[in-house]
Amino acid sequence: MALPLPPGLTPPEIAFLCEMELVTVIPRQRLEGLELLGGRLPPLNPPHRTPLPLWLALLLKRQRRANILPPPWLSPHSLSAILEYETKNEEGFSPTPRLPPLPSNNSIMFSPPFLPSSTAEAAPDALPYHWLELGEMLLEAAADDFEDSDNVRKLLQGLREVRMSKLRKGVELLDAEGGIKMNGVGGMEVGEARAFVGGVIDGLRKIVASREQQRRDREKEERENGYPSTADYDEDEMEMQ
Amino acid sequence: MGSYYDVDAILTDSQKVPCTFELTVSGLGFLEGNMSGDMKQGSKVELPLWLGEMLALSLNTSSLVTLDPPSALAPRVMNALKADPRMVDLRALAPHFYNLGTRILEIFEEEEITEVLNESFKSRAAVIADQAHNPRGALGEGADFMRGLDENERQLFRAAHDSAKAVRTWMTDLKKK
Repeated sequence: MALPLPPGLTPPEIAFLCEMELVTVIPRQRLEGLELLGGRLPPLNPPHRTPLPLWLALLLKRQRRANILPPPWLSPHSLSAILEYETKNEEGFSPTPRLPPLPSNNSIMFSPPFLPSSTAEAAPDALPYHWLELGEMLLEAAADDFEDSDNVRKLLQGLREVRMSKLRKGVELLDAEGGIKMNGVGGMEVGEARAFVGGVIDGLRKIVASREQQRRDREKEERENGYPSTADYDEDEMEMQ
Repeated sequence: MGSYYDVDAILTDSQKVPCTFELTVSGLGFLEGNMSGDMKQGSKVELPLWLGEMLALSLNTSSLVTLDPPSALAPRVMNALKADPRMVDLRALAPHFYNLGTRILEIFEEEEITEVLNESFKSRAAVIADQAHNPRGALGEGADFMRGLDENERQLFRAAHDSAKAVRTWMTDLKKK
């Protein structure tokens, strides 16, 4: 009651989490490796490409100490292919990047926040979890590192609209039995849709609550009125043994 | 159901439902504007939901009044909702239409009304989302629809609008840096 924020994360919080993603930079100045709490950062030796967390990459870019290499899925070619897929497939969203094969020696599997899904080696044909935030931030800070930044911006906007309208249409399909497949929805999209989708589900739950209660009462009554219940079966089996 | 401090639950409680008195009660005539007289058996009065529910259900012996479904849930309204949920002005029927509906459904078992409410809530929610993301829609051709939203739907609209606005604000803040 005291917390003024709605449940879930606000857009700046989602963007903050996104800054942990690794991106590839081309350094212009030397920088020795940094020992940080989150782990060791590799030394920068121009002109060798190095993976860095987004927050540091943005900082170096603003200081003109490095250039950022946009991930391959953020190219006009890939984006228009994904956009076409999204418009053609009315149901479902474009698939997420494939996970790497399981490491054979230990059972620890890496999942999205710890996978390099936005470096220069990332898959070109799939949107990672933080696609919208990362795309917007890179376009803002490093527009000159893109080949065709205006086109990329336009395609991102188009993708966002197509996917949000799918999310909104999905509430019409919500029911006790089913819902919409939300695989591949990104972090910022979840943050944006959470309040609305949650509200709809809450409202529907309230409307059918009385029906659920009646159904439960009826079942309970049937059980008490001599219909064979599971408890009886258990007793029979016990006797046979 | 709702929390003790839930304003919407309190307001739902105060919505009127038609009741018929089964007994003659002396001195209750003021409920129908008859200041000094008695409440006659069989007279119909609009009572707030909390009072009507209490009088109709809590006495184990013969009940004092019988509840009738309110006009907001009449078959005429249900048919209109079945035909096109988007054209019905729920706010004019009852400001807390869905809350009233659920309270009434707890008393009367009406599978069909549950189904109709469920379907219309869903299809209206889709329109609400479109309006919330389209800044001109709420003022232009959507104005009539927006005026007819009940309290639950208004909260839904506000939630959808606020989150869309938060993302937009974040994007414009990004440009200022």
